[in-house]
Formats: sequence, C-alpha cells, structure tokens
Amino acid sequence: MTNSAFSMITKTFTASLLGLALLAPTAWAEVTALVGATVHPVSSDPIENGIVLIRNGRIEAVGSDISIPEGSRRVALDGLHLYPGFVHAATQLGLTEISSVAGTVDTTEMGSINAAIRVEVAVNHDSELLPTTIAGGVLSAHIVPGGGLIRGTSAVIGLDGWSWEEMVISAPTAMHIAFPAGAVDNNDNEDLKLIEEVLDQARHWHQARAAAADGNAHMPARNDQLEALGPLLAGEQALILHANRYDVMEKALDWAEGQGFENIILYANPDVQYIAERLARDDIPVILRNVYSLPSRRWEPYDMAFVAPKRLHEAGVRFAIADTGGGMDVSNARNLPFQAGSAIAHGLPADAAMKSVTLWPAQILGVGDELGSIEAGKRASLFAATGDPLEPMTHIQQVWIDGEQYDLHRDRTLRLYERYRQRNANVQGR
Amino acid sequence: MRHLIFSLSVAALTSVAAHADWTPDIEAWNSPMPEQPAAVVVRNATIWTGTDAGVLENADLLVRNGRIGAIGQNLTVPRGAIEIDGDGHHITPGIIDAHSHAAIIGGVNEASRISTADVRIRDVIDSESINIYRQLAGGVTAINLLHGSANAIGGQMSVIKMRWGASPAELVFADAPEGIKFALGENPKQSNWQAAEPRYPQTRHGVEQIIRERFQQAADYRRAHEEHPSGRAGRDRVPPRPNHELAAIAEVIHGERDVHSHAYRADEMLALMRLAEQFEFTIKTFQHVLEGFKIAPQMAAHGVGGSTFIDWWMFKYEAIDATGYNPALMHEAGVLTGLHSDNPELARRMNLDAAKAVRYGGVDPHDALKMITAWPAAQLGIDHRTGSLAEGLDADFVIWNGHPLSTRSLVEQTWVDGRRFFDREADQRMRERLEQERSELIALALASDDNSNGNGNADGSDSPERRRVVHSFAAHLTGYRPSELDHDEFCIFHDH
Repeated sequence: MTNSAFSMITKTFTASLLGLALLAPTAWAEVTALVGATVHPVSSDPIENGIVLIRNGRIEAVGSDISIPEGSRRVALDGLHLYPGFVHAATQLGLTEISSVAGTVDTTEMGSINAAIRVEVAVNHDSELLPTTIAGGVLSAHIVPGGGLIRGTSAVIGLDGWSWEEMVISAPTAMHIAFPAGAVDNNDNEDLKLIEEVLDQARHWHQARAAAADGNAHMPARNDQLEALGPLLAGEQALILHANRYDVMEKALDWAEGQGFENIILYANPDVQYIAERLARDDIPVILRNVYSLPSRRWEPYDMAFVAPKRLHEAGVRFAIADTGGGMDVSNARNLPFQAGSAIAHGLPADAAMKSVTLWPAQILGVGDELGSIEAGKRASLFAATGDPLEPMTHIQQVWIDGEQYDLHRDRTLRLYERYRQRNANVQGR
Repeated sequence: MRHLIFSLSVAALTSVAAHADWTPDIEAWNSPMPEQPAAVVVRNATIWTGTDAGVLENADLLVRNGRIGAIGQNLTVPRGAIEIDGDGHHITPGIIDAHSHAAIIGGVNEASRISTADVRIRDVIDSESINIYRQLAGGVTAINLLHGSANAIGGQMSVIKMRWGASPAELVFADAPEGIKFALGENPKQSNWQAAEPRYPQTRHGVEQIIRERFQQAADYRRAHEEHPSGRAGRDRVPPRPNHELAAIAEVIHGERDVHSHAYRADEMLALMRLAEQFEFTIKTFQHVLEGFKIAPQMAAHGVGGSTFIDWWMFKYEAIDATGYNPALMHEAGVLTGLHSDNPELARRMNLDAAKAVRYGGVDPHDALKMITAWPAAQLGIDHRTGSLAEGLDADFVIWNGHPLSTRSLVEQTWVDGRRFFDREADQRMRERLEQERSELIALALASDDNSNGNGNADGSDSPERRRVVHSFAAHLTGYRPSELDHDEFCIFHDH
C-alpha cells in the first residue's frame, strides 16, 4: 500500500484507484441506508422521504423507491434535509493555524518562482480548524499555495483523514500564477518578464529532455522548478490565474491565451463581473474570491460585490463562490455557504447559489465525478441539516465523510460550549 | 484620475464651506439630509420590537416628528401621514454597532503612551466616510467609534448616529454617556510585532499593574482638585496642575465615564473587574470578550456587558478558545450580551451574525436580534432613546423585505430620527445619476492628467516589490479615503 500510494501522489489520482477497501475496517463492507430525509442531490430535484445507500465510502444509490439490502445499517433522518458537503473552491485550510503565530503558518513560500511547490504535503490533517469547518458542512476544499508569482500546484482534499495522503482527492489540481498587476500598462514589467522567461526555459528544458529520451541529446540537468511546469506546458494541467482588478484580469487572460494555455481558471475578486461577457464567450470558469467584500471602488454601489454572482450567472459564466481563502477566512471557512445565501438576496437563483458551493466548484476543479452532489458513484460526503444550509439559523446535525459518520464533538468550539455550559449551570445551581 | 477627483472635491469643500446649508454633492452617494416628515406610518408589517412586547404580526408603526408615536393594529394616523405598505415586510429596530472604527480621521490608534485617556474620537469624526452610507444600507443606525487597542487605557469614544449628510458635530449622539476604550492582552503588551523601543508593560500582569497605578494617580488627582479651596481661600494657593489624562481616568473611577475594554482572555477580564471593584465602580463592557463564557457567572455578578464577535477565532493565540457559542453562554448566565462588527465590511450584514447566535447555542431569534439592537444600545447607555421600538423612542428602524435573520433578505429602508436615510429605490436612481457624473469626470481627468494609471492605493498585493501589509478587507480597493479603510491595526492580525 505504501508503495502504491507513494507512486500515486506524484500524479493526479482518484480514490477509486486508492484501494480504500484494503485499508478500511470491515464495517465499510456493509451498506448504510440514510432514510426519511428530504434528499437534495443538487444535480436534480429534491426527493421527499428519500433513501441514500452508502457502500465502501461511496454513494451506491439515491431515490425514493429503492430497495434497502438486508443487513444494512439504517439511519433515520425524518424531518431533516440531506445535502452534499460544500466544496470550498480556494482556501489555505490546513496550511495555517493561528495567523499571528509564525510557526503555525505555511501559507506563503518566499521567492517568485515556486512552481515545484506541492501544497498538499504541508496540510496538517489534525488542524483544529478542520473539525469546526466540517461542522459547518464544508467537507472538502481546494488548497491553494500563496507565495510568489508562479506559486506551485494546488490540491483538492477531503477535510478528514489520518494523513494528508488519505485526504487528497486530486493533486496536483492546477498550477497557480499570480498575474502581476503592474503589467497592465507596462509591457516591460519585470515580474511578467520573469514569468515568461521561466516558462520559456521550461519549454526548452522539456524539449531537451524529450530529445534526450529519444537519444538525440544529453539529458539536461535536473531542475525541479522547470520539471514541475511540464504538465501545464503540455496542456495536461489547468492554469489558475490570480488577478484582482478587471483590467489585470483582462491582461492576464490576453497573456495566458497568448502563451497558448487553453485550460484556464480565473481566481478573481468581484471585479470579475465586469469581464463576464468575455469569460462566457471564451468559456473560462471563475473562482469568485469573496462576495463579502467592500465595493472595489469608493464610488461603486454598496452591493457591488454582492451582485457579482448574479452578474456572472446571467452572463453564462461557470463559477464557484469562495471567500478570500486567507487570514480570518481560513478559520471561518465554515461561513462559505452564507456567501451563496447572500447572493440569492442579490438576485442569484437559489439553485445556482447551491451549485456555486457544491457541484460547480467540483466540476471546475476536475473532481465533478467525486464530489459536489448526491449521486451514485460519488464519495459519500454529505450532511443532514434542519433546513436550508445557506441560512445561518439552520443547524447541521450529522455529517458523513467518505461514508463514515463524523464525530462532531471533534469541533473544539462545541466542546468548549458543552464543558462550560455544564460548569455555568453548576455555579448557578441549575 | 483619483487625484483629480480628490482635488475637485477639495476645491468644492473650500469654496463653499462657508455656506451653512452646504451639503456635499460631488462625491458618490452623498446626499443632503432627508426631510423629517411630521407623520409616517408603515402598515401591516411584522414588527420585531426588541422589547418584551415581542414580535407583532400585521402591525402598524407610526412615526411622529422623529419619534415613535405608536405601534399596534389599525392605527389611526394624522391626516397627511406618509403611508408605507409593509405587507410581507419585517420591521426591526436599527442595528447598533458597539465596536466600530468606520468613520475616524487620522489614525485609530494613538500608539504611543500606555495611557492616552486624554485623546478624543469626537475631534476626528469623518462624517463623509462612505462606510456610513454603506452601513445604513445594512440597517445600521448608530455606531460606537472607538480607538484601537494599542494602549491599556485608550482614548475617549464617541457614539454617533448614522445621519448621512450631517456634519461631524451633528452625528454625535448627544445623549450617549461618556466612555473610554481600554485594552488588555496581546495588543497593549505588544506581543505581535517588534517595537523599536519596547514599552512597559510586556505582560498581562504588567497591564493590570499600570492600570491600577493610573487609577491611584487619578484618585489623588481628583482629591487634590477637590481639596483646592474655592473662592477667596484658593486665591493665594497654587492650584493643582491640570492633567487631561488623569482627569478622564478620574471620571472612570468615579463612575462618570464608562469603560469599554478590549479583552480576550478570562484571566485578564477577571483581573480588571476586581480592580474596578476595589475602586468601587463597574466595568461597562468587555469588547470581543472571547473567553467571556468561561467567567460568565462572574461577569453577571459584576454587572459587565459582553460585546463579542460571533465567530472570529484562532487569528491569534489569545483567540484560540473563542467559540461561536459564547453569546449563547453569556446570555444564559445573565450577561448583557451584544454582537459587534469591528470591521466596516462585516458591519453591513450584522443581521447574519445575529442569525448565527441561533445556530450556535439555540438563542431565541428575537433575543438574537436584540444582540445587535436593544442590548448593544443598553451597553452604550442609549437604550432610553434607541435600540428598540416603543412609543416615545427615536424612530430608528429598518424595513426588511423578509425575515431579518435570513441571508435572503435585504434592507429596503433605514430610518434614523424619522428620516429615511437609506431607500433601495432611491439608491437605484442615484446610481444612474452617478454613472453619468462619473463619465463626465473621467472625460475631464483624461483631458488633464496623462499620469492616470488607474492603480489603487491598496492594490498590488500580488506584486512582490509592492507588497504591503493590508487588512484582507482593504486589499484591492481603490479611491477610498484613508479613514474609510482604517482599522485597529493591532487588533486583527494581517494575513499577508
């Protein structure tokens, strides 16, 4: 197992290859039947009094009229609503614990060229932030590196596991380039020149290596950074462009298209609404960075950021809603669904809002077969709530990750509550 | 271009400032103070009173000359009253934010001496902060402008009403009790940065000591002044030297100035309560109060309120035990509990923070709403005027198009003193006018300024050589006045 897992983490892999059954306790061989809830597959209409069958960590069947195998473990969820776990489209969860304590922060490597950074290897699977995030229904996340111009590769992970290796769903998911804002009106921008220079070097390096493989040249010296850019340059890996002003976004897209990149995802703040038509035309999906933003410009309407999802949707852009992914938004990644809820108030249709934090991020990140909806074959990562989970007043009562019921008491904030509630009651003689 | 617009507005200010009735009209969203109608009635709404009267269905709210005239069903109203159809709408008291830095000119922190009790927010209120308008659009009607948390004894706060279009002096909430910001823990002891010259204290027990020392000095100061003979008898004696810092602290220990103390940990809060008890006064609120739940019974016994974030946690070591259940626990223990923003972006959606108090610990929704209305008003000592809806109180209220604690609801109108300061329909109309005006200004700017590059003041964080430390809410923003993005730089640790 160790050997096979080791080889797999070097390239994209899926859990179906993981051979989870080998590792799994025998209980996994059994079938769990979640019954009685209103099932919200997200990919299709809600099912009243629905049944979800789970086997070996995956959803085996979903419906109202399916037979439950004998010996299944039945979980009654009458009155509750089942939803797929939220998929956080861009965050630094696992890379940071307490932002003011440097020793706990691994979000931002120094230097400009960090192509060979693999973010998943620094995910602390026992981070205290993860159980609290899970308690909010966010069950998987795209973990994004934060340092330099070429920042390295990201990974989609499930938020529970005994190691980062077990948590990885997709890695490397995409190469990240932070497009320099200064390049908008300066064709000699040094940062952009550096990026281009490194990409050219990488192209040459890979040509040389291919030539060497054919016996036509000597093998070039190993170069971790240039080697890591191979899948991107070969068109096998998505490019995620970071840009946070509409003119920077446009310039970044012009540049990336000029470089010949075809699989581009734009990771951008609400300014992205101003280039929605182009994004729809070129079919470039967007990870929307933070609906809960002040308007980019002082003179803009108060709801400038709140309406960004609606504008993208109306223009026909594929998008996922995320928060800033850094700072306070890491410890509060659990608030992701409320951003989608607020987008409804500002004109985004409710079903689109739900998809923007479940199915769409999964699809945009290339894990649409694994996550994002309650459908047969997907990972059984879902939760039962008292109502609409885009509403803060709703309670999330039970969570399953890869078919296993999650112990919500791992949430530190809940443990403190129960401990001190008891203590305060004792003090007051209640 | 930004500079041109700025200089145009400065020119407008200087050329017409002499007119008493001047209202700013060149910058976006500025508008004159709205009229105060003699009578307004909102019919058939769901009214969340913020009082023991509870939530009233199909009720009317009558406003007369800026005050609430009556609440009830089928109210008889004066002839000529403005009628608003509230069917399907909810009315709540205006939101009160007990911890804000959203409209302060020239630095939130006087980060110098350990005690700066002599400095006053009142002198530096920014009545043109766009945050005022934006927060009205989120239902906020009064905020408490506080200094930052750099100093154990900060400065004198100022409670303002969100009277967009009024002058700084007119914003001040005249009836609000005087107050002062204190701060405990990591910030006054300078834990999270390298000070060029370290300042005493560097520990929590040092913070407690320096506050006690100032209390002692202030008591002596007040006594010296009181003992100085008045009239003829005092004429031949040298009076005690005036000291504005000790004078303000003397007001604190004599119960004439409320203490609102930034604090996270249980130990430091307990220590400040005990210190206050030695000097026979009560701390008014702890701000942030993340570990309030650990000493909630002691807080209730002392009589201190808790003004907290609903769910901010883990951003610094002293926030490691923060929990979203804190408001529920403090409230259950009998602590006067409120939620605050401390952030101009978050302040626009405080209703959703109240909704989280329902999620974390099952607080009753009406009580959760009181955590952003009636109870912060009581913490600030302005509950005799605002924070709830009852006859005789100021007509500070919000009309929502749905349940006020739902993400799906929007503020339709926000009224302060019976004046409609925010109206979504009017806002939509204003956008069209401003778009036209902006086009004209851009044309002017392009004709006169070829240095225009469109770059923002807080932008460029993706560019290593220009990377600066900015708060996440302020990243990538353009054209703002510095005061609008100001914050307590010692309070929230930066993420870049």
